[in-house]
Amino acid sequence: MTTTKTCSEIGDFLSEYATWLWGCGATCIRLEKNVRRMAQTLGVEIDMGIMPTHIYATVWRHDRSDCYTVVRAMHKSAISFDVNTQLSKLSWDLADGRCDFEQARRMFEHIKQTPSANPWLVLLLASVANASFCRLFGGDAVAMLLVFVSTLCGFRVKQMMLADKVDVRIVFACSSFFSAVISAGGHLFSWGSTPEIALASSVLYLIPGIPYINSVSDMLDGHYICAYSRLMDGIVLTACLSLGLCCGLVVMSMKII
Amino acid sequence: MNILLQDGFFAAMAAVGFASISNPPRRAYPCCAILAAVGHALRYLLMNNHVVAVHIILASGIAAFAIGILAVRLALVAKCPAETCFFPALLPMIPGMYAYRTVEAFVLCLCHSDESTFIHYLYHFAYNGFTCSIIILGMVVGANIPIFLMKRMSFMATKMD
Repeated sequence: MTTTKTCSEIGDFLSEYATWLWGCGATCIRLEKNVRRMAQTLGVEIDMGIMPTHIYATVWRHDRSDCYTVVRAMHKSAISFDVNTQLSKLSWDLADGRCDFEQARRMFEHIKQTPSANPWLVLLLASVANASFCRLFGGDAVAMLLVFVSTLCGFRVKQMMLADKVDVRIVFACSSFFSAVISAGGHLFSWGSTPEIALASSVLYLIPGIPYINSVSDMLDGHYICAYSRLMDGIVLTACLSLGLCCGLVVMSMKII
Repeated sequence: MNILLQDGFFAAMAAVGFASISNPPRRAYPCCAILAAVGHALRYLLMNNHVVAVHIILASGIAAFAIGILAVRLALVAKCPAETCFFPALLPMIPGMYAYRTVEAFVLCLCHSDESTFIHYLYHFAYNGFTCSIIILGMVVGANIPIFLMKRMSFMATKMD
């Protein structure tokens, strides 16, 4: 089976697989392990250079009878641990002989079609989550309700703007602004006993946790360029949400501290 | 005990909600909830006890390390990558009040030109900013270390038996 496949076919498949795995939020160590696992099973050697926007891969046979080099842009998509899980499972299925190369390619095409979760359900769950977050910081019931409403509005703004393909940095600033302005109402009208906590936790659903976590993972694995890139992504998004919060505070003329 | 249970319950709620944003497989949700509850309750216990009250930075690091170890084990049960389980569990430990006070102090720095008032808010900005950054760094390093220590187990979670 493996001997009939050329290095170009295998290289194209593995490089596209790698770009999708990166796009759904996998770390560099997972990406390398999954791709090498499949390459070994397919009877080829592979060396990869992982860059934040591109992947460079060279695939060759042990006897050097065939060789293929490919450069491919990273796939841009929303973070999806479901796709990450399915792609990781695919690499094991191929390595353990549960599927052959053609079946793996078909399964990969199927995984690419994985639908995202129901946006309304995510909206509700994220709002409940942020209200719980407020409770963890010591917020009272009024503060929780305020955070629930401000998250509901801010997160909906985020979903709508992302659907309209607006730049993610602008999306973060606008969502944070909306949430901050709504939750600042608690401060202005003295609702409840912990309005400051409501204001503080109203924008936390926007914290870009995955870039930070993946950045440290890449750093521990020695992929410093990718680690730096992900760290900068996280910092830029955090700065944008802080900007939205600042503007919200200024617009509502908050008398803070 | 009641406070500890409440703390764990709300942390689990927060983790499940935040997990949904990153589209995990359904079977990962219970793991996220368990990890968040255990991690947050552990941090609370470390910070609020009569024997030795640990500082929030160290407590967050220890709790994140515990989350990381548990995540590697639970990932084998849920058949999904360990980071799928531990990422939402870490979110309830984000030092939100420190982050907010950093931004607040930054705005106030810009609003005051008087030297002593400016220095006062600059102190608030630096203190809260440093504390917040170190807590987050400690958390993400603490949670990632177990994955690298138990590499073999970590990357076999999606292998079907």
